Amino acid sequence: MKIAIMSFAHTHAAGYIHLLQATPGIELKGADPGPHPRGEVRGCRLADTLGVAYVPDYDELLAWGPDAVIVTSENRRHREHVEMAAETGADILCEKPLATTWEDGLAMREAVARHGVRLMMAFPVRFASTFTRLRREYEAGLLGTVFAIRGANNGTLPTTRTWFTEPALSGGGALVDHVVHIADLIDALLGVAPQRVTATTNRILHSHRARAETAGLVTIEYADGTIAAVDCSWSEADTSPVWGDVRMSVAGTSGTVDIDFFGPAVRGLDSSTGKPAVRRYGQDFDKTMLTSFLDSVRTGSPMEPSIDVGLRTLSIVVAAQESARTGRTVEVHPLKP
Amino acid sequence: MTDLKPRIGLVGAGGIASAHLPGLLRSGGTVSVFSEEYAPAFRNNDRIRIASSLEELIEWADILDVATPTNTHHGIVKQALSVGKDVICEKPLALTEEDAAELVSLAERNNLRLFPAHVVRYYPAYRELKRAVDAGSLGELAVMRFVRSGAFPQQPWFADTSRSGGVVGDLMIHDLDMARWLAGDVVRVSAVRHRTESAGHPLEAAHVLLTHASGTITHVAGLWGASDLHFTTEFSVTGTLGSLTYSSRAEENYATDPDHLTADANFLPPRDEDDDDPYAREIQDFISARQGSSTPRVSSRDGLEAVRIAVAAMTSIESGQPVELARQ
Repeated sequence: MKIAIMSFAHTHAAGYIHLLQATPGIELKGADPGPHPRGEVRGCRLADTLGVAYVPDYDELLAWGPDAVIVTSENRRHREHVEMAAETGADILCEKPLATTWEDGLAMREAVARHGVRLMMAFPVRFASTFTRLRREYEAGLLGTVFAIRGANNGTLPTTRTWFTEPALSGGGALVDHVVHIADLIDALLGVAPQRVTATTNRILHSHRARAETAGLVTIEYADGTIAAVDCSWSEADTSPVWGDVRMSVAGTSGTVDIDFFGPAVRGLDSSTGKPAVRRYGQDFDKTMLTSFLDSVRTGSPMEPSIDVGLRTLSIVVAAQESARTGRTVEVHPLKP
Repeated sequence: MTDLKPRIGLVGAGGIASAHLPGLLRSGGTVSVFSEEYAPAFRNNDRIRIASSLEELIEWADILDVATPTNTHHGIVKQALSVGKDVICEKPLALTEEDAAELVSLAERNNLRLFPAHVVRYYPAYRELKRAVDAGSLGELAVMRFVRSGAFPQQPWFADTSRSGGVVGDLMIHDLDMARWLAGDVVRVSAVRHRTESAGHPLEAAHVLLTHASGTITHVAGLWGASDLHFTTEFSVTGTLGSLTYSSRAEENYATDPDHLTADANFLPPRDEDDDDPYAREIQDFISARQGSSTPRVSSRDGLEAVRIAVAAMTSIESGQPVELARQ
């Protein structure tokens, strides 16, 4: 199977390449045309470091005839790259978020449908075994009916790539970066449409570097009455031993479930610095997600999370951005089938 | 007014009154109680005199401690303040801003003390958080989260929002007060709530978002859930210089296996009743402040502000839009 990587802009590109290199039967090729920000190892140099075949531009990459394309470009460029990939007839794995505007998201869905290809969203957390267990136990009725959820996806301010904090390329700040993972988990669990969103933000943390919000709190009201709250802040300190975390608490009529997705670790202390030592050992969700994607490409089985999940989670982000801007609660764009 | 052995009249003899009782008895004062019904702690207790009526209790007392259903706070507190008695009032002071404001100004006008019993300020973990923030250890506060979660209270009046204020007015007001105590006045409040039931058992959850004048943002989550939930609380506070997080469950330092060796779930957050009973501390703080003419940790104005924020949250739930709060 031939897999093309479009852009190394997102740091996940390197992770996916490592995992795919370890997967038998995969031929990999990447393109990451510049110009690149100074000081960032990108393009041919990064391809050499990773040991992956490289071509200088996307036309040549897609002319290679890949079976599937992984889009790991800057958020704002997802639309352009997904449209190019769809035209070649390849299935697509798109880094989150799907897009940065509702119009771009709808155009991507239209392009994917027109060319008869499928797009899977790169939402790895729903592939966690703890989440699979939650879905199983919920479906078995152990929680009763879910009526309230809270989630937190906190992380360090992304610094290895400057575009994350350039709204022209990222589409915003913490809201666009971190709301979608929790939104995806709720979508997978409940399968109901989000309706109304309220958000409040600030840029107190990392204020000297921030060009968009660095902290954000969002509430979401769903069609079945379920309420949710998401903390999407880049509130993990630069000096933290871990990148951040994803947590979710689900309240059902029969009880609650709390999941700390990246929680399992052995813990101690670095006695030379006095800093905590945290060695996480949990499951690699990216690996499970890629396996699911490759299976779908190979067998034609449905891709989940689909582009519609990408759109529904995007509808929450754009509503949250509008709410933070206006101070009002905002109705989300309804997704017509 | 600065007697060392004040006569404390406790109104109500239910759950919160039972929590106040050990601290009242240890305060050095004498305790008398009046209630329509009496919880076990009050039966055959020779350290407590049972008053014959509310009027008689108010007449007898130097300090009234009002631990009744919330909708009765305003009337009872007003009655006591009108005849010159200092008052400890279980939170919230009242169900509406107008009622709470009336009590605060009545106390100020009559030069009396009105102490809203926001006990979370006396819980050790929350006290440590406040100390750290005040010492500047966290720098400028950016984002705060608070969670308070337990079983839906069994007393039927809690299910009647017009009497209890619901999960926002009764439960989450603790953390709304904490948020304001830490990050200062609130300028915008939004809230969502979901009420449902399961086999006749009511359930209620809410999320409140606060924007403080300082720019800090806060999320307060409240849950009155399934009947066998343990009471748990959490916070996560991050500023420019550091963060502090707390989970009551994670900090339990007495673990049993099997679980049922531990006593049943309680409607109050876990606390060390022998060493550091927050209810005793709040009562002691008030009585000491009263004797020394100093300011207790919670002022009547703090109680009023907590009501304003909770009422704004309930208004937001009804209107579906955030509520702007005027700076006080």
